[in-house]
Amino acid sequence: MFKNKFKLSLSKKQSKVESDRDGNEPKENMIPSATNSFIQAIKDATHNPSDLIVKSIPPNLTLIFIENLVDERTLNDHILNDLYKKPSESPELMKSLLSIPLLNISNLLDDALSSMMTGTVIIHIDGYSQVVLANIATRETRSLSAPENESQVIGSQVGFNESLSTNVSLVRRYIMNPDLCIEKTKIGKRTNTSVSLLFMKGIASEEMVNTLRQRINSIDIDAIIDSAALAEMIDDNSLSIFPQMLLTERTDKFCDGLMNGKLGVLVDGSSMAIICPQSFIEFFQSREDQNLRWQIASFLRILRFSAIFLSVYLTPLYVAALTFHYEVIPQAFLVPLSESRALVPFPPVFEALLLEFIIELLREAGARLPTKIGQTIGIVGGIVIGTAAVQAGITSNILIIIIALSALASFTSPSYMMGNVIRIIRFPIIILAGFWGFYGIMLAFCFILIHLLRQSSLGTPYTAPFYPPRLKDWRDSIIRAPFSYTSKRPTSSRPVDDEKSNPEPVNPEKS
Amino acid sequence: MKKLRYFIIIILLFVSLVGCAETKILERIGVTTLVGYDLGDDEMVDTTAIIRQVSPEFQSRVEIITTKDKTSKGTRIKANLRSSKKIQIGQMRIVLFGDDVAKDGLRYYTETLLENPAVSNSLFMAVVEGRTQPLLEYKYENIEDIGQHIFKLVEQNITNEHLISSTLHEVAHDYDSIGMDMSMPILKRDKEVIAITDVALFKRDKMVGKLSVNDSFYLKLVRNNFQSGMLETVLTKDDLTSSLMKNSPDGIPLVFDTVRTVRDVKLINQKTPEFDLHIKMNARLLEIKSDINTGDPKQIAALEKAIKKNLTREISRVIAYCQEVDSDVFGFGEVYRSSVRNSNLTHEKWHEMYKEMKVNVKIDFTIIRNGIFE
Repeated sequence: MFKNKFKLSLSKKQSKVESDRDGNEPKENMIPSATNSFIQAIKDATHNPSDLIVKSIPPNLTLIFIENLVDERTLNDHILNDLYKKPSESPELMKSLLSIPLLNISNLLDDALSSMMTGTVIIHIDGYSQVVLANIATRETRSLSAPENESQVIGSQVGFNESLSTNVSLVRRYIMNPDLCIEKTKIGKRTNTSVSLLFMKGIASEEMVNTLRQRINSIDIDAIIDSAALAEMIDDNSLSIFPQMLLTERTDKFCDGLMNGKLGVLVDGSSMAIICPQSFIEFFQSREDQNLRWQIASFLRILRFSAIFLSVYLTPLYVAALTFHYEVIPQAFLVPLSESRALVPFPPVFEALLLEFIIELLREAGARLPTKIGQTIGIVGGIVIGTAAVQAGITSNILIIIIALSALASFTSPSYMMGNVIRIIRFPIIILAGFWGFYGIMLAFCFILIHLLRQSSLGTPYTAPFYPPRLKDWRDSIIRAPFSYTSKRPTSSRPVDDEKSNPEPVNPEKS
Repeated sequence: MKKLRYFIIIILLFVSLVGCAETKILERIGVTTLVGYDLGDDEMVDTTAIIRQVSPEFQSRVEIITTKDKTSKGTRIKANLRSSKKIQIGQMRIVLFGDDVAKDGLRYYTETLLENPAVSNSLFMAVVEGRTQPLLEYKYENIEDIGQHIFKLVEQNITNEHLISSTLHEVAHDYDSIGMDMSMPILKRDKEVIAITDVALFKRDKMVGKLSVNDSFYLKLVRNNFQSGMLETVLTKDDLTSSLMKNSPDGIPLVFDTVRTVRDVKLINQKTPEFDLHIKMNARLLEIKSDINTGDPKQIAALEKAIKKNLTREISRVIAYCQEVDSDVFGFGEVYRSSVRNSNLTHEKWHEMYKEMKVNVKIDFTIIRNGIFE
């Protein structure tokens, strides 16, 4: 409800802007033929910044570019050198003369300006209302490195970096197929950020591609700095705490998604790629599961799923049992539990919230601080605060174990975004458990379950393959069945071609 | 927006309802682990409660509070007056009755226990020979927490199938079902030791007799199928054939444990109830005080025959005793009720018939293993 209104107002604004543009006289956008007025026009449009370089080459050429955006060596070797030797008479002639792959001729000032901002040299010839645009942008990017937030033991160790073109080339290196479609658009009225939509033609559902394309294009916003913000804008329910699109910096995970009929979005300047549609269960599947033997991968997946429940419900259960339901505590556990609680002056709910708060503080401090100090924080927090709190009688040591266990469990989620959610939804459940005991926990559980059932990711059910039941997809959900049993693509992304592999054994002698 | 406003109002309502839930924070309550009931003067109930208290000095101690009142709840109110912590009975594991209470009737006690949702249905019930109060208040040298000790004692023996299980659930079931009576273990203090000495037999809710622990094995054998349980018995002259008699003139003591029994009860006469009781029993010979060569199949067959004879006689004796005291702990009435159409059986009707009942005991006894001792 909320979001629709928001989008509606955005699209209205957009159409207004467009009509404004159309109303202007076309002449203003044309490139002036006289050199002086051309230079003036560019300077006016860019507010004469200090890094704007205007270079005249006698007799009639003018080069305009932005320092540091263009590659100086190419500029010297392939443009200046050639132009000094053989001055050209017309833009067409020059285009055939220059030995640069990306050359364009344009007569629009806006065109020239926007391409100058991405590292293009504008070459103007006096007397022509056309300019040659030579793209010699520098590729200043961080070198490729292992994905730090989603590390894995077995598997490729390369992650996306901040350059869109590098990221696209990485994907191309995994999927060497002309069917890999890449659609580029620009979002952000003021930042002009490039956003690429990637999908496999012949696998991905056309309908879904259209939906996503439409969602991306209907965004009207000033600036997109990172893909995470874009993901929140284009997902189905922006108000939900659960992310409906996966953000990953793993190239292999991204390509795996594409090959399963999912759609990918890459944003220039962001090292995180968006994959959608994504069901709730898939947030807890690691790409590494495909690289391990299926028994081990299944065990690890079960471990991860039990970790969710442990993480979400262990502390509330402690609070509820100690506040209301002393009957359910096993007799052998009764004595140690009550003894450890004997000195604590607070009710269990307050005690639990306090400790959870401390753990969150530690995590946040560790994330914000430089890596070297971050480790110290862990030691200070874990050992000093932990033992001191027990000795001071503020908390019971059993609760410390429980809190530490649930914090640890929440970090097993392969998606950092989902791990955050798991940690945060614990707080309301603890409070409810402190109010109403098991009844409160059940209430929270039902609430979360209903919420999850209502969500969708790009129109596909969020709780698939469990509800609606897709029995065949269960083979690759909580467990990972051997590859011979998962020869079909998951139905949740509605692939056009669902055949993934030939289930016939590769080695017929064995069977 | 309207929806959101309703949502906030509902959340606020929820929060303001907080005062309604009664908290029972673990270290602020006195956890009762055992309760003993005795008959006091003037129809009063003497309640002895073992309450586990947690003191701030990191030591838990056991407090014994005895109170008198007309009802068991009344005694709890009085017990609260003497305790620094709110007394709760949700962790109660065992309830003891003095034998005067057991003879007077337990109906009222089981019913109040059943009606309380905080009380676990799996708590055990037992009878104490004499009064419970002296048994619980005695300062045992080696027993730190008497509530826990008695619970473990009874639980251990019941899970090992030495005794008939007497949880609140089963006792209430036996009490309510027509044609079945309940039974409970009897505890007794012997100097520094608390021991299970007998098994109490009930008619409806009143204790009418008791069997020795050894006899309770036969009781279990007739009552249900079971997988374990050890029996020591002495084969007397009557049981033994001449070939086995040679070396042991007085009888052969032996111990066996059951590997598996299958019990089958059939009603063959409705007028004066007559039952065929057929028990198939596979056993393991554990110990035998005789020179019998257990490797010899002939000797084993003779031994089996002797044990069979012995068991038949003992079971008949136990049944006869139970008939005498008019307590159908075996549940023959249940079989009668389920085999006779429109029997309209009532407790009174069945107990009249029960005295006349005849049981033909037939036993198949097989020694399937011997010579392997644990």
